[in-house]
Amino acid sequence: MKLLTHNMLTSHVRGVRPGGGFPLRIQATEVKVNNVDFNQEFVARMIPKVEWGALVEAAESLGHLSDLPHELPPEYENNEDFLRKVHHVLLEVEVMEGILKCPDSGREFPITKGIPNMLLSEEET
Amino acid sequence: MEKEASQLEKDHVHSVYEKIAPHFHDARYKAWPKVQQFLSDQDPGSLIADIGCGNGKYLHINSQTYKLGCDYCFPLVESARNDGHEVMVCHSLCLPYRNECFDAVLSIAVIHHFSTKERRVRAIKEMARTLRVGGQMMIYVWAMEQKRRKFEKQDVFVPWNPSPPSWTLSNTCSRGIQKSINQKDKRLALDQHSPKLAGTLKVHRQARSSSFVGEKETTHNLFEKSLRWSLFSRSLDSILDLSNQWHQRELSTFSNGNIQLDELNRGKLFEKIRQGGFIKHISNLSLRCRQNSEDNASEVAVEPGSPMICHPVPFKSCYSELGQDTKQPPVSPAIIHDCSSVCLPDLVSHQKDVKQQLKIDYHPKQSAFHQLQNRRKTDSSLQDTNNYCSMATWNKQPQRSPNGACLRYYHVFKEGELVELIEHHVPELHVIHSYFDHANWCVIAEKIHVWKI
Repeated sequence: MKLLTHNMLTSHVRGVRPGGGFPLRIQATEVKVNNVDFNQEFVARMIPKVEWGALVEAAESLGHLSDLPHELPPEYENNEDFLRKVHHVLLEVEVMEGILKCPDSGREFPITKGIPNMLLSEEET
Repeated sequence: MEKEASQLEKDHVHSVYEKIAPHFHDARYKAWPKVQQFLSDQDPGSLIADIGCGNGKYLHINSQTYKLGCDYCFPLVESARNDGHEVMVCHSLCLPYRNECFDAVLSIAVIHHFSTKERRVRAIKEMARTLRVGGQMMIYVWAMEQKRRKFEKQDVFVPWNPSPPSWTLSNTCSRGIQKSINQKDKRLALDQHSPKLAGTLKVHRQARSSSFVGEKETTHNLFEKSLRWSLFSRSLDSILDLSNQWHQRELSTFSNGNIQLDELNRGKLFEKIRQGGFIKHISNLSLRCRQNSEDNASEVAVEPGSPMICHPVPFKSCYSELGQDTKQPPVSPAIIHDCSSVCLPDLVSHQKDVKQQLKIDYHPKQSAFHQLQNRRKTDSSLQDTNNYCSMATWNKQPQRSPNGACLRYYHVFKEGELVELIEHHVPELHVIHSYFDHANWCVIAEKIHVWKI
């Protein structure tokens, strides 16, 4: 599970207040770092679509923050240095084994072989 | 209702896909051109969700976009993961995604697995929730109307077999099928731009459906069965597009084998196929009332919202209406737990075909059966369902092996049904394009603002 993926995920456990299921806390037991080709335009276009705070928080929890700023710098589109850091965090860091935890309910979703299992039981939905 | 609907889907969608997942990887490698086009048309940097991605065959398209696949079936998701895709396991009625996070959403051959209209609407609404305003969704569902054949009802069980059954008498037949299929494969592989051929190639690879064993394996039956298997699979496969030419070739291939059919019989069989009577011919598997089928040939067999559950059904009434051979004891069908032993219920049955070819087992469950009949007497809305659902282990052979037919539940869509579903029940989606593609009804819809006054 890449951190770009993680940024889209939320918990829908019944009873969780609106927005309370995001972002899921990551407890990783195995993290992999890959080499992914850098595409500046792709990264620049992706940034407005992510929740920046959640991305930073997730990267930090994995120890891969690597001096990524907590606030989005203005005019980042042409800041290659910055975009490369974002690229690394979004696409190169992968959680292979671990748990995603709903911040509101505490419900845990396992990640196995890089695949999050987001299934809820009938009672939970 | 909800519980039964969910259970039906568990038994006849989820568990079947789990069983057949290992066979999917080879078969379903080809993406349909129009879906490919939709994906390629998305802007660079788009976030795209493939809901019900299966083994991920669409996830590699358009590397300028970021795709997230999800599916309920873990083995299929694992398969997609092994190809390097970002995927997860979830249920499409409860997507684990934030609101409005995707630029595009795909739903290819998924919605038709939901057993009630309400669940189908919910699935579409849930996908719409994750789509940003201005983003587009593409939905493909199996069509009831197909070129050469017609599903008699909208709620059907479609068998799936990973490979053609092998017969004791001769394997020439099955080899004949495989040979002609392989030859076609080669030709088709060379011509990847023709949508029609692409679809047919997929079908040949899949060999998804099968006929049912259970009849005595006479020479004649074996021939019919082999023909039945390949044509049956095609008749129910949504992307099949047979031509007359293919029929001719297939028949001559078979006749080259050990199985000899005289000209007359072959011609008759072929004629039946051409007229679509083939469906009726092989539908001796169905024990549905003739009356039902005649009255409601093109109507939904099941009340909207009522689940397609196989409870023990009043066979007796079915039989008496058929005016069948009363020497046959009335059948109390077993509750269907293992889909491999179930007959296909959706095809029209002819009286005489049923009489000739049906072999019924007598199940000593009379008391349960009568009790149920009494209970259901007053519930006429369920009567159709029950008759429709009525099945029995009609072969005298022991339960089929795990490699035997698995039944998948489908609600095949009528023309306009998908559009109507969206227009009437999903105000946040605006249909911008709807069309027919390879025996699917297709819709492209855009997410719009819904202003509440």
